[in-house]
Parts: sequence; structure tokens; C-alpha cells
Amino acid sequence: MSKSVVVSLVCALMICGGCASMGVEPWERDVLARDEMQLTTDPVEAALDDHIYFSKEASSGGRGFGGGGCGCN
Amino acid sequence: MANDKTPIVAALAAATCALLGSSLPDPVQAQEEPKWDFNTALLYYGEDNDRVQDLSLNILARRNFVDDRFLTAGLTVDALTGASPNGALPQSVAQTFTQPSGGRTYTISPEEIPTDDTFRDSRVAVNVNWQQPLGRLYQLNVGASASAEYDYVHTGLNARISRDFNQKNTTLSAGLALARDTLDPVGGVPLALTPMRLADRGDDDDDEGGGGMSANGWSSKESKDVLDVVFGLTQVVSRNFLFQANYSFSDASGYLNDPYKILSVVDGVTGDAVPLVPDPVFDGPSHLYLYEHRPDERVKHSLYLQGKYNMAGKVLDLSYRYMSDDWEIDSHTLEARYRWPVGRSSYLEPHLRYYTQTEASFYTPSIVDGAPLPGYASADYRLGNFDAFTVGLKYGWTTNSGNDASVRLELYQQLGDIPSQQLIGNQLGRDNYPDLNAIILQFGYRFGL
Repeated sequence: MSKSVVVSLVCALMICGGCASMGVEPWERDVLARDEMQLTTDPVEAALDDHIYFSKEASSGGRGFGGGGCGCN
Repeated sequence: MANDKTPIVAALAAATCALLGSSLPDPVQAQEEPKWDFNTALLYYGEDNDRVQDLSLNILARRNFVDDRFLTAGLTVDALTGASPNGALPQSVAQTFTQPSGGRTYTISPEEIPTDDTFRDSRVAVNVNWQQPLGRLYQLNVGASASAEYDYVHTGLNARISRDFNQKNTTLSAGLALARDTLDPVGGVPLALTPMRLADRGDDDDDEGGGGMSANGWSSKESKDVLDVVFGLTQVVSRNFLFQANYSFSDASGYLNDPYKILSVVDGVTGDAVPLVPDPVFDGPSHLYLYEHRPDERVKHSLYLQGKYNMAGKVLDLSYRYMSDDWEIDSHTLEARYRWPVGRSSYLEPHLRYYTQTEASFYTPSIVDGAPLPGYASADYRLGNFDAFTVGLKYGWTTNSGNDASVRLELYQQLGDIPSQQLIGNQLGRDNYPDLNAIILQFGYRFGL
């Protein structure tokens, strides 16, 4: 694993350490509950994009599993 | 008295449940919501210079059950045509290649980047997914996927478990996916780093079928296994801001070559492809080309960060992905979307994406004649150095019937760069990298039943 991945993971864990003090009360979720604030707003569009870029580039996934499942030319 | 207490306890319990219930972020919980939610899309993807064109029809159906359980089922049908670069370098003379089927040849004009235009395929993909809570804090998600093309079959299983912390402001998740893909290339699986075949199979476009080896030592089928593991953190930071951080590990093993890709064998001084003496009986390649060879394992690590920020109704979505693998490919992907409400029931969403990758350790534009053969070699442009840009705009609106419709148009461009130290002689003066321009046009419609 490259050094930058390790550094990034450590940073993510440090951010996570501060997570307990972040957040909102249950009655403050009005904005977060909106469709446009979901991490994946449009799952079909996200899957199509993952598939296009999987076919044309050497990287895939990240958001979820690696996508793919094709012998793309 | 004892009887009088019960309604108070029940009322308190109901009030508590109502309060906890209100913390659930998913608006689908409301009883008025439809049981089925259909998310459909028609997508056209088209590359310039008569390269790949894809028309894709997609349906994702989601049904909610009591107790926050969901069933999701997806169907994708693709129709693909067009030409794809075969890996050979352009030359100052015409070049002839054998089609993958071994039935015919095709010829490319001087100075043109060789592409194989026999590519024509259809693809059907399905997936199903079941999601349900496990107790108050855990969520389980299990799924299966399968897809089939003329020469490729994919089957996969996946599972993900997540746990909420800190009043559901923090969610940790872990996921596992296993896939087994089988390749059944047109004309059989070529032997790596051997010369391109002659067109010695007549006009028969079918593959050999039946499994086993053919007379030239080629097998008819190969397979690969892919293991993906994802660990994720989602954090609500404030009323308007949340982010996600994922680490992914992926291990692919088995047959990882592209059976249709070749490399030019070139003169070590001029850089020109080595011409072949024509076969007295069969048509065949005009120059010496070898089938590519990749390692049979690839391990990838990636880190994905995404943040969503709401600014008085306008939503900024930023993401970054870093990927590194043991083929020595490193990539960075930056993506931004900005959702901008227009009126009360529509929005505009500009989209920008930047991608850059370094080349695989065994990427090479050509192989030098007479030099020892490398262990692995590929001239697939997707394993080379390149940058890619996407610029897009989406317009979404709510129809009179209350359903969501959208249209998006995007332009995708790849700009490649073969380092000059990898080019020989006359190759330096030619345009060797198959740069790509593509258009993405998508119509989406979402409705409930």
C-alpha cells in the first residue's frame, strides 16, 4: 500500500475521532432529509457514470463496490 | 390506579417513538408514500470518429416494506456498436489486421490510429438488493448481480453492514463483494505475446464453443475472480453539511488480459512496424503484431471522500478519489456538482470532473523487434498516461403529475500523453495516442406506484 493511502487513512481516523462532538439533534434533520442532500442523489445516474468510467479508465469504484462486470472495449 | 398508568406509559412510549422516528432521514417512511418507486433512464453514449456508441435503458425499482425494509431490483439493457483502438500504432503505410473471429481481415489507412470496427454487442445486467435494520443501530444490505454479453458473463454477490453512533450522526460500514466473470472471446482466447493469427477460419464468425483447446493452442474460455472490500464512515457535521470517507480494497485474479488488444512489433531504429511476407494461402496481418499480456493479479487501494453542503437551498457536492494499484497506476479524480434551484419545482445542476492517471508499469506503445520479449506488455490506451475532463449540465423538474424528470448532457474528453522516451524513430512525429471525445445524453424519469 502506498504511503499516501496510509496517510489519508490516518487523517480519516483523526477526523473520525472528532465525530462524537459533531452532528445535529434529531429535530434538526429537516435539510439533511431532503432528496438532494443524500450522498447518492440519483442511483441510476451514479451507476451509469461508474460503468462509463470503468470502461474507459483504469480506476473504478470508491463510492461503493468497484462497478464493472463487463468486457468493455 | 394500575389501569390508569398504562395510557400514560403508552403515551410516553408513543411520544418517544415519534421523536426517534422524526430523526430518520429517509422521507419514504411517510405512510402516504407509494409502495413502489421506479427510477428509469435512457442514456446515449457516443464517441467521435465512429468509435463506441451505446444506447442504454435502465430501470431501478424499489419497494418499501414495514419496519424500514427495502427490496431493490435493477435492469440494464445496452446496445453497443462502433470501433475500438486495437493497440497497434499508426504507420505511414496501410495496415491490415485479422478480425478477432479469424474469419476476415480489415485494413486501416496510412497515419490512422488502427481501430477494430467489428465490435458489436448487447448487454443485459440485473441486480437485486435487500436492505433491513438489525436491531436499533445496525443495518444489513445483501445483494446479487449478474450480466451477460456475447463474450462475457458476470456473476456477483455482495453484503454490507452498517452501524449508527452518536444519535445517528455517525455511521460506520463494512462491505464485501465477490464476483466471478467468465470470458468467451470471439475466435477464442489468444496466447499472450504470440503473433496475430491469420484469417484462416473462413467466414465463420462464431467462436469455437464447447470449451477446451483449439488446434492452435488457444483456449475458448477464461475467468477472473474479483474481491472487493469497502470500509466507510459517514458523518453529519451540521444541519447543512455531511461527508463520507471510504477506503476500498480490490483484488482481481485470473485472466486480466484484453483478448482483442495487440501491440506493434517495430524496428529498433525507425520505429516502423515490421512488415510480414504474405501467407500463400490465407489473408492475414500486413505487419507483425503480438497479443498483449497482463499480470494475472491486480490489487487496488482507493480512498474516496465526499462532502455535501447546503447553502440556502443550493447544494454543493464535492468528491475526491485516490487510487493506487500494484500495476503502478495511480489516479486522482475530482468531481463537483452544484444543484441550483430554479423556481419552485426545477433545478439546474452543472457537473465538472477531472481525472488523471499514470501508466501501468508494463504499458508500452510498441515492442522492439529482436529484443528479448518483456514478461508483460500492453498498448491499451486505458493503461497509459492520460487526463480526462467531463463538463455537464443537468436540468431536473417535477412534472404536473408530481413525478421527477431530468435531462443531462455531458462532454467527456481524454487527452493522452505517451512519454517521448517510450517512442522510437518515426513514432515521434506521429499522433500515436487515441484521444477520445464522447457525448453523454440522458433522460431520467422517476415515478411511484
